[in-house]
Amino acid sequence: MAQTDRLTAPTALNLATNSVVLLRLAIVAIVLATWQAVADSGLLFRDVVPSLVAIFRALVNLLADDRFYTHLEATAFEVGIAMLVGGGLGLLVGLVLGANRLLGKAFEPYLYYLGPTPKIIFFPVMIMWFGVGPPSKIAMGAISCFFPIALSVAAGMRQINPVLISVGRSFRAAAWQMAVKIYLPAMRHPIVNGARLGLGVAIIGTVLAETKLSNRGIGFLIINSYNTFNMPRMYALLIVLFALAIGANAAIGRVSGSKPRHRLAGLS
Amino acid sequence: MTRTWRGGALPALLGIGTFVIALVLMELLIRAGAINRFIVPLPSQVLLSFWRLIAEENILDRFLLTGGEALVAGVLLTVVGMSVGILLHRIPLLRQACETWIAAFASAPIVLMYPLFLVIFGRSAVTIIMIGFTAALPPVILKTLEGLSGTRRVLIDVGRSFNLNHSQLFWKILLPAALPAIFVGIRLGMIFALINIVGVEFLINFGGLGQLINDLAERYDLSGTYAAISFVILVSICFFVLTERVERWLRPID
Amino acid sequence: MPAVDPLTDQRPDGAVRLYNADPILTVDDLVKRFQTPDGPVTAVDRVSFSVARGEFLAVIGPSGCGKSTLFNVIGGLSAADEGRVAVSGETVAGPHRAIGMVFQEESTFPWRTALENVAFPLEVVGMPKAERLDRARHFIRLVGLDGFERHYPAELSGGMRQRVAMARTLAFEPTILMMDEPFAALDEQTRLLLGDKVLQIQQDLQQTTLLITHNITEAVQLSDRVLVMTYRPGRVKRIITIDLPRPRTSAIVSSDAFGRFVAQIWSDLREEASRGIQDSEAHLGRDEATR
Repeated sequence: MAQTDRLTAPTALNLATNSVVLLRLAIVAIVLATWQAVADSGLLFRDVVPSLVAIFRALVNLLADDRFYTHLEATAFEVGIAMLVGGGLGLLVGLVLGANRLLGKAFEPYLYYLGPTPKIIFFPVMIMWFGVGPPSKIAMGAISCFFPIALSVAAGMRQINPVLISVGRSFRAAAWQMAVKIYLPAMRHPIVNGARLGLGVAIIGTVLAETKLSNRGIGFLIINSYNTFNMPRMYALLIVLFALAIGANAAIGRVSGSKPRHRLAGLS
Repeated sequence: MTRTWRGGALPALLGIGTFVIALVLMELLIRAGAINRFIVPLPSQVLLSFWRLIAEENILDRFLLTGGEALVAGVLLTVVGMSVGILLHRIPLLRQACETWIAAFASAPIVLMYPLFLVIFGRSAVTIIMIGFTAALPPVILKTLEGLSGTRRVLIDVGRSFNLNHSQLFWKILLPAALPAIFVGIRLGMIFALINIVGVEFLINFGGLGQLINDLAERYDLSGTYAAISFVILVSICFFVLTERVERWLRPID
Repeated sequence: MPAVDPLTDQRPDGAVRLYNADPILTVDDLVKRFQTPDGPVTAVDRVSFSVARGEFLAVIGPSGCGKSTLFNVIGGLSAADEGRVAVSGETVAGPHRAIGMVFQEESTFPWRTALENVAFPLEVVGMPKAERLDRARHFIRLVGLDGFERHYPAELSGGMRQRVAMARTLAFEPTILMMDEPFAALDEQTRLLLGDKVLQIQQDLQQTTLLITHNITEAVQLSDRVLVMTYRPGRVKRIITIDLPRPRTSAIVSSDAFGRFVAQIWSDLREEASRGIQDSEAHLGRDEATR
């Protein structure tokens, strides 16, 4: 009896995984087929739903176009600086609020309640302060990613196993040694999660600002496609943007979980 | 925010006190000319503008408009989100295929597609509602799924021991047990929806509160813009706190 | 050794008999209080004792008697309200170079291998890499974990993790080793085996050791003297000299003399523990009444 069980169990598993894969392929196929049908039928205003071929062609053209990469660079640069500024400030503020109970209780509620608000409405103020060039977009991205990172870091500080801090103190570690050898390694999960979230909202904040007022960047290209009613190009841009956003997220995930044993040790 | 704080009201005082002092400082610095009053308006002016906004700009009507959009999006979210969640729970194979995709969707920047929605639905409230709905759908679905599958095994066994059929099991045990999680999902969804709704109102210059900010900014009404932004932030915070209270009130059912 | 009633070590005037006249650790009239919602509570109330070089002193008491508080104050992680702690005459005001601590909870760094964990204190004092890894390997071998240097704590059992924590503190080469219920979370068999290991290490290194425990068998098996604490507020109830012959093994658990020591400590503890239970029941009653 045991023999046959062992024989059937693995194949049952294979069957299950195969079914999932098949179902996914089926879903994708149905979606694409429906899309093409709607495109061909002319139900909606022309080009609102372009044919798959048109989208594919636009995608190829886009990726082959040098100017696209200039714009991509512009956005990437803005997002990068935004993460540095917003993330750096967030890290600092999070460390302080997490370390000091009084300050934490006094100021963390601000972060907590200001977090889930529409940041894009600050854009007019950013333009007033920083002008119409890249700095206002960077400021938008920085504001967006500051909150999740600060909150993650503050929470991370508090969830550090207190005995690990006692160990450091019992061995008379200096303050910088405590920070580098104990606090930071103990917080790598919250920091990475905060960074992932932060990157996502930084991209949103920056690109949205670009759609509102800019002459460079992916956001600009998107709104430009809208204004010139170049729908296939808009779809192509959106596809690229989403692919990059999901890719960046996955990359961070890969880097943080790159040492599987570390991932196991969420004991801190 | 775990261990009880015994410092009394000190943290709250410190927090609010710092904010008030910052405002007073701003007022003084601007009056002294240290900060350009054409970039940062006097806080006192901003406060006065609130009244102006209410009287002249129909801010309350706009608030209702935004609220209405949020409400419609919310209803759609609840109905569609819960239905899809329940469906996925019923059909495990479908769930296995789709759950990770939906989770990926949740972290995708859906609001960036607003120009697309503009094309499809035009510059109207429909666009705004649809974006709010689409961006906020994943958490509702995921939380519904989580709530339904997280029902403690023993509760299901109790139901089966009483020979409840599938439908009874669902309505009398699974769904009630899942309600707290489902509510968390709806709350999350509503918050995302509100954020995206106000954001898109601003971006496409149509609608209620978001459009007002855009309007005032284009008119270079500095103190008005700041006042409108503050108003929206306040509304946002109130909504967040309110839903938090309701969630906490619902929790004891658990 | 001077002739003395083996079961008690308290002179009529209350003074503590010293193992030899040159104590390496002295605790004088130590007092530590805490603020609770019900008002200030004295956790440690005028505790005095001393530890001689090379001695193994066990501190035993019921739950809530302030043992861990004592541990933290002597280790310098927490400040005394009154009294002082001195190492070779030098007052302790913060973690002291001569004192090494092994904590009760899981304290290995999850992101470091066993070897890296043990090398930590050497890293802190700035020892060069090759030398400190070498030293760390030595202490890993000492606690019997050779072969496991490159394992992460998540891959080790609870007992092994505590051994890593112990090796890490030993690598610090403290004059005084303090351990706070290091075996509390382990099963009985692992406990006995680790107890043997600790005995062996102490004998090999002639390590001065202060062990906080609530396990009587452990206390009598491992130590030269046992300090019994009262229930809160924690005071010294009795100090008993365990003059069982050394070197000892876990086999000693079955001897008559061992049984007598255990019985004496047990009756002391039972008295204190029942006071503890009455106290918590009174608290419970009060909480119920105020609801």
